[in-house]
This record gives sequence, C-alpha cells and structure tokens, in this order.
Amino acid sequence: MAHLLPYLEPPSTPLPPPLTSPRSINASPKSALLVENDEHLLNFFRRSLTDEGYAVRTAADSEEALRLYHDCAPFNVVLIDYYVPQKNGSGIDCLVPQTHGIGLARAIREINLSQGIIIAALDYQTAQEVTRPRELMHIPLLIDISNFQLRGLLEKIEVDRMLEMLTTAELLKLQRFADFRVRGLGRAADGRTGKDLLGEAVVRTLTGAEDTQKGRHWNKNVDFVQHLAGAIRSISNCWKRHCKEEVYLVSELVIHDVEGQEYSPLDNLASEQVAADQCLIEKDEESRVLATFKDDSDATHVLQGLLNGLKKHEIMLRYGLGEKQYAAVVKRIRVKLMGLKSGGTRGEKHGR
Amino acid sequence: MADNKKHDGHMESLMNQLAESVLGLSDEAVLAETNETGTDPEQEAERTRLVLRHAAKAFDNVNNRLLDLDHAVNSNDWRRGRSGYHNTCLNCGSSVFITATGGMRGQALDGQCPESDRYTTRRREASC
Repeated sequence: MAHLLPYLEPPSTPLPPPLTSPRSINASPKSALLVENDEHLLNFFRRSLTDEGYAVRTAADSEEALRLYHDCAPFNVVLIDYYVPQKNGSGIDCLVPQTHGIGLARAIREINLSQGIIIAALDYQTAQEVTRPRELMHIPLLIDISNFQLRGLLEKIEVDRMLEMLTTAELLKLQRFADFRVRGLGRAADGRTGKDLLGEAVVRTLTGAEDTQKGRHWNKNVDFVQHLAGAIRSISNCWKRHCKEEVYLVSELVIHDVEGQEYSPLDNLASEQVAADQCLIEKDEESRVLATFKDDSDATHVLQGLLNGLKKHEIMLRYGLGEKQYAAVVKRIRVKLMGLKSGGTRGEKHGR
Repeated sequence: MADNKKHDGHMESLMNQLAESVLGLSDEAVLAETNETGTDPEQEAERTRLVLRHAAKAFDNVNNRLLDLDHAVNSNDWRRGRSGYHNTCLNCGSSVFITATGGMRGQALDGQCPESDRYTTRRREASC
C-alpha cells in the first residue's frame, strides 16, 4: 500500500504565504472547496453542497486546490477526493493511482490546523482500508456517497467549528444556564450536573434527535448559543418528565388478589399527588435558599416573588423595585447561589 | 396533600428564571459575576469547552467505529430513548446507542456489517 502515499510534492514555484486577511469567496455564510476530477462526482458533490447552503469553489487537482486555498481560505469545509491527481491534464499516467488527496489534506492542515476537511474515499469498503498518516487519522472519511453520510459529516464540522468559536463569556453563560437548570430539577437530576447537561446538549445537536421522533439538527439561522440553550431546556425537561414517569411506573404495579381482582398497592394515593419526600426535599431547598438571604430584604422579596410564580414586573410593582434595582438583586442572588455551588456546599447533595 | 401539589415546581421555576436571566447578561457582566464568585473566568470557560469537545469527540468515536465496521446509519434517524440516543444500520438493521455521557454500545459495534453493500453507494455507481 506504500504506493498509495505519494504525498504532494512541493510546487515548482513557491506558493505565497496565507493571507492574513482572508478573502472570503463571497457573502455566503458558508463556503466549501471541492477538489474532484471526476466530472460526475464533481456535479454530485457540488449539488449536494449547494443544497446544504454552501457556496462552492471547485478544483480538479491538488495544485489548483492549494492555489485556491491560499487565495480564498478559510472555507467552512474542504471536500477532497482521495484519488485526486497532483496536476490535471496531459502527462498523467492513467494506470498509476493518483492519490494526492491525502497529500493535499496534509498541506492544507499545515496552513490551517483547524480547517474542516472531509476525504471522499469511495473506492473503499471500510475506513480501516484507507491508508492515511497518523496525523490525518482524525479527518472524517466519506465512504458512502449517500447524502446522509455527507450531511452528517458537514453537520459535525460546523458544530466543531462553532464550539471552538464560543467566547469565554458565551461558555460561562452556557455553564451557568445549565447549572441553574440542573439545580431546579431537584431529585430529577439524579446526580447529574450542569456539565452532564451541556455534554448531552452537544450529543443531541449532533444526532439531531428529538423526543418528537422528528430529527432536528442545529438550524443555522439560530444563534448557536441560543440553540444550545434550547437543547439544554429540552433535555432538562425530559429528565424531569422521565423522573415523573418512573413514579407512575411504580404506581402501575398491578397485583391480583385471590378472586382474580386487579388492584395497585398505590390505589389509595391521589393520582396527581407529588411524592411526599420530593416535596420535603424541595421545601428544604427553599428554606435553605431563603436563609442564605435572610439579611437581604430585597433579595428575600424577589425570591419569594419568584417562588410564588410572580413575573418580574409583578415583583417590581409589589415590592417597589426599579429596573436597575431588580437587576442588581437578581445578580446578588445568582452570584451567591453560584458561589455556594463553587464552594461545594451544594451540588453533590443535590438529587442524590 | 394539596399543599404538596401546590408546592411542586416552585424551586424549579425559580432556578429556571435565574437560568434565563444569565442568558440576557452582557459579556462583561457574566465575566464580572464569575470573578465575584471567586472563580477564574478563563479557566472555567476552558473547562466548559473541554466538556463540549469531549461530547463531540464521543459522537466522532461512534461514527468512526461504525465506519470501520462498514455499518451505515442515517444521520437524521437518531432517536432519543431513556438510555441515550439510538440508531440502526440501514444495511443489517443492528442497533447502536450513544449514551448521554458519550458512551457507546449496541449490536452494530460488535462486528462487521454482514450486508454492507445493500444501501452503500460506491464510486462506480455514482459515476455512471
């Protein structure tokens, strides 16, 4: 298999250094560089990428691709056929496999380590058969030309890119958001943390799975932070629901008496009754939170308002708080509760 | 008992409203609040990024394993179940699960797909 690795030879004339201010190919939000010398495949891939919203630049050989990359990078994705020649046109020995796709991928990676790349290796049955150097093993392979595999890889590259682009503030917001959501779950959190919630939000984004049985990946028109926040809301609601369903499963235990009559051991409990221990835990948590702010009357008012289901404007009206004052109080509550969590006095106990 | 029912969800509602209030903060405000809790914002943000990366990597691992074994799953066919996310190989019908924490299991991961060419389209077919 050594013949499959003739890495891209250096071009006869040195290439210019990558542009410091890259010229994007156009105003399209997503761009792709497609490197393919087979006309049918070129058309197929171009159509597929266009359908997914990419503005597509094409190159038929690795030299042309590298030139285009230098001129127009970065691209959202570079799709390279494993069997792309180094140079198109006459002089190519058609009997020798032209496998410059790997060399091109390596050259692009040397320019931009984080460039999203897909290698189409459609002549292979499995990924294991595709010879690649170790440093390129992480690059996803397209083995099956069916649209769903390409779509999945494109989605993954986009999500990876967005994860790397999240700013410090955005990451902190997501973490806080997830932490508060988990804390609100009480026992339904079942020992899971905000980090578990964040991790599942990414898995859900990549699988596109929904409870509704209808797949939904990240809608690129929605801000990525908002999308992840939506996934976090949905997952935490799901955890809560599953926890409640487990209660119902126990209540559905059916027992037959000697006369064959069916009854449940929990028949005497009201059907919508909240488990007593769950209620006690919640009351305990409420008391603990209120006690934390016993010396802060504004915070106590806001907390009591929120606990009683009042809206922001209702709380402001009832307790005579202005907008800025209300924001300052909520900030104090957040900081103190998060501080308690950081100090380890909460969290571990929660939901066990 | 009625008190119990009335009481249900108050803490959840409170915490959810606090969660929503975080999303509305400016970048400067969230950094300042993190500092106030005595945490280094950069370090905490990087820890969070690692969690996100780890989850994305777990998804990669499952797909790479399926690819190695020549199973073909439709990326739009993942379904959420109690124990994680489920899909089936289009060729042989065997199952694969990704758990919410990034683990993987299922019959599809046990061995090579026995019917790998059923739905897999190769180059020569695409080029015709």
